[in-house]
Amino acid sequence: MVGLEIGSGHPEGVPAVRVRKIGGRTELVAAGFLELPGELPLEPQAPGVPTQTWTLPRAFQAPYAALAVTSPQGYLRHIAGPGDEEAENKHIPFRTVTRSFGPDLPTLKAGLPEYQAVWAATRLPEGRPPTACSLQVSAAAAINTFTASPLFQTLPDTTLILFAFAGYTSLVAFHGAKLVLYREHPVGYGHIRTAISNEMRIGTELADSVLQDTFIDPIPMIEPVLKPLFRQVEISSDYLLRRRNCQVQQFFLCGLPSGAKYWASIFSRAIPQPLKTFHPFDGLLKAPRADPLPADIPAVEPYLMTALGAARAALEDV
Amino acid sequence: MSALLHLDLLKEEERFSSNPVRLRIIMPMVAVTIAVGCALWWCMLGLQAHGMNLTKAGLRENIDQLKGAHAAFIDLRMQEKEAGSIYQQLRYYENSIIRFGPTLTRLPELVPANIQLTELRVLPPPAPLIDAKQPELGPTNKTEAVTLRLAGRTCGETASADVDALLAALRGPAHTNLIRQAVIPKGAFRQDTMRSPDQREMLLFEITCTCLPRRFE
Repeated sequence: MVGLEIGSGHPEGVPAVRVRKIGGRTELVAAGFLELPGELPLEPQAPGVPTQTWTLPRAFQAPYAALAVTSPQGYLRHIAGPGDEEAENKHIPFRTVTRSFGPDLPTLKAGLPEYQAVWAATRLPEGRPPTACSLQVSAAAAINTFTASPLFQTLPDTTLILFAFAGYTSLVAFHGAKLVLYREHPVGYGHIRTAISNEMRIGTELADSVLQDTFIDPIPMIEPVLKPLFRQVEISSDYLLRRRNCQVQQFFLCGLPSGAKYWASIFSRAIPQPLKTFHPFDGLLKAPRADPLPADIPAVEPYLMTALGAARAALEDV
Repeated sequence: MSALLHLDLLKEEERFSSNPVRLRIIMPMVAVTIAVGCALWWCMLGLQAHGMNLTKAGLRENIDQLKGAHAAFIDLRMQEKEAGSIYQQLRYYENSIIRFGPTLTRLPELVPANIQLTELRVLPPPAPLIDAKQPELGPTNKTEAVTLRLAGRTCGETASADVDALLAALRGPAHTNLIRQAVIPKGAFRQDTMRSPDQREMLLFEITCTCLPRRFE
């Protein structure tokens, strides 16, 4: 199974991760960024516009592909009931799917504009590997990197994970195997980069280097950005305790390219709990006789998180 | 309960096979090919049947046209066969002719002076066995026995010797091309009892000559 994150906007290309399952064990076969033609359309295209299909490099030619779409119009959220359609744009048809985790838990709903779903589903043509077998929204796909990991099986009752993306951070709480809370807050690592860039008057592409070296303490610059987010984490944690009777016992951060230690530091000031970093590729064995992985995999694995999550969800669900 | 969050938005019709051999396309193509093949086969059979019907109609028309001529031909063949048979029989008869002329021409020279021939007859052959259901136009036997009977009277002291001399002459080499055997049947050399007693010295005799058979070949 090869996972592809469509619409990520990553400068190196489309994040792609190929995994396989042998004897109940999931192995990493290939990972990287693929230069594939075309970009996810952000508005409905006129019919008959020619678009190129994709041919993946040999290392990524798995039989099937799981596609995760990162779209500003796509969403993942709780809904009160089947008739709750308030967030959808009434002028654009949406493709939606819902999942209920229990009678006392709100239903989770994922949605994607129909034209984007069609565009993504038709990138991989019939007759040559891979062909699409799954289409997911990025926010949902990324969660599976955590739930499919060996770590997830060893966790205490209630855990809250922060999935950091460029434009937002999602808070996902699990009570056992049940997803009991999903929230999104419009603060992501892109906002951190912007804050550093604005404060230090440097390009946003240099912001990560500020977060990685130790010469400058970026906390004063990023704390105002992260504080509202962690306040929301605190509120969510309090909500789980009061409304769901779930005491969050561990907090994890996932998908952050750099500056995790500063996030943990600021987090500990807001909530007296450690914020542990979860690496999406932890526990994933490299397949024997697989092509060599890129040398900078540890540095880029946050960007591959969504592609990996999509692949693992589809692979485990087959 | 699985913690996986696989919220799949892919529609069933968007799931394709990566197999280059697409059953979805191949199967209808095979079905259409078979159907077209069957249709062509039926068309060919239909055309063949139509062609055969046309040929049959033509042949029937031809037969009808030739029926009169065919009957005339059969009739002619029958006539020819009959004429041929008659001609053959006539040839057989021609071939079977036995020429008595030379022998009869020399006969007066052979007959002694005191012998008077009273009868010279070729005996009719025995009637052939004819099947009433299938009568034959010609002779039923390939050969037919021919018998020449001579009867006469003689008198005098040399009567017996003269008859024997006539018999010997008939057996002579001059007549072997006609007479195979000449005999006096028992009791055929006898006194003539029908006459008056003063003429009782008159003797009657018969000589039967078995001639070469007539061969109908």
